[in-house]
Amino acid sequence: MIETKGLRFLESIEYPDVAIADGQTTFIVGESGSGKSSLLRLFNGTQKPSAGKVLYNGEDIAGMDTIALRRQVLLADQTVWLFDGSIEDNFEKFYAYRDVHAPEKEEMQRYLKLCQLDFDVTAPTAPMSGGEKQRVFLAVFLSFRPQVLMFDEPTSALDEGTAERLIAEIRQEFVDQGHTLIVVSHDKALAKRHADHIVTIGSSIPGGEVHE
Amino acid sequence: MSSQGAVQINLIQFALIYLLLIIILIIMKKCHIHQTKLLAVASMRMTVQLILAGLILTYILNHPHPLFTVSYIAAMLIFSVVRVYRKSPGLNPRFKRIIFISMSFSGIAVLAYFVCAVIGKNFFDPQYTIPISGMVFGNAMTGMNLGLKTFFDSIKDNRDKVKVLTNLGATPQKILLPFVNNALETALLPTLNNMVGMGIIALPGMMTGQILSGTPPTTAILYQIAVMIAICTAVCLSVFCSLYFGYQTLYDDQNCIIVQE
Repeated sequence: MIETKGLRFLESIEYPDVAIADGQTTFIVGESGSGKSSLLRLFNGTQKPSAGKVLYNGEDIAGMDTIALRRQVLLADQTVWLFDGSIEDNFEKFYAYRDVHAPEKEEMQRYLKLCQLDFDVTAPTAPMSGGEKQRVFLAVFLSFRPQVLMFDEPTSALDEGTAERLIAEIRQEFVDQGHTLIVVSHDKALAKRHADHIVTIGSSIPGGEVHE
Repeated sequence: MSSQGAVQINLIQFALIYLLLIIILIIMKKCHIHQTKLLAVASMRMTVQLILAGLILTYILNHPHPLFTVSYIAAMLIFSVVRVYRKSPGLNPRFKRIIFISMSFSGIAVLAYFVCAVIGKNFFDPQYTIPISGMVFGNAMTGMNLGLKTFFDSIKDNRDKVKVLTNLGATPQKILLPFVNNALETALLPTLNNMVGMGIIALPGMMTGQILSGTPPTTAILYQIAVMIAICTAVCLSVFCSLYFGYQTLYDDQNCIIVQE
């Protein structure tokens, strides 16, 4: 479980106290600039709060090994970045940075399908569209199967139908097996359809709101 | 082969060399290169600085004393380190300390090995130690500037990669070491290329100077080879130590990489 207590960032953003339960899908929605993406970075310790704390399984993350934390609470940021080469090369290079072996080709293929991509793993990533690159990126991060997976605007470059299928299948594959999914999205309709829990934050709403 | 020293040139003959600057001025004018002021300042500074260096060296060589040798080396070291700091703004104080220690250690260690073990002279003998330290520190400074520029530029150009790999849970060491290796390679390339072309494309300054002053070319080449290897080692060691220990100052206790713009 991830909880926050009196969390503030850069003095201007004050977050509501949130509690994100294990094995659920939580959507974080709110206006642009309200601090949704920053909240995810506060969860994985790549940003420090100016006040308050983040607890992961009851422990303040400020005192935790941040590398181990980031591997358990994995963030696929809005910034999509891939290595040169094929999809398979990308799996291998990302895994090498974690000092672990990449999954078998069949497994890579399965994650690509889950992310609504029908490419062979040998396909080069350079000529792909923004949306295709985003899904390769999500597939790689998903394949690490962390305890908590955080996606920042994962459907920003996708059409409505693909976005629906992607979130539904990831939930089925991931959340139904006990993992936690946190998604930042500006799409409130998508959030309503797929969230077990919605956190709304907004600069115009002091403290924001939490909806169950 | 004459073993006499170089022909003494009087000041009027010497002044003739400045006429060549007129050619550069004409070309600059023709090509609209607005650097004539820089050419004048550079020529003036070089002349004044070298005259001063000549006078000081003459005094030191006539009155050799370990304190003079050490002071001269210290002045060269401080000047080169300050130049490196100026060329790389945004270095944090710990990184600056590491650069100073790396350049001092690498330069002095290579210099001591060269003067004491290879030439077999006293380290404080100004005739050998001062000119060789000038070449060693000068080249180490150029290598450091190139290495640091490549290192920081490549981190800034790969901002998204660094961000994604940090989120992935890669250690800062794993993320930054490839940038260190790449910068070290870039810093070494000019010296290595210089070694490749040496003797064919160019006769280096030190060797030319020795031949002009009457040293047999066979002796001059031995010195030149030794100097080139010493320079290459000093560049490699300074850049490696600076970057290898310096990059560890670029992340905090939360394993977040912080590079100042």
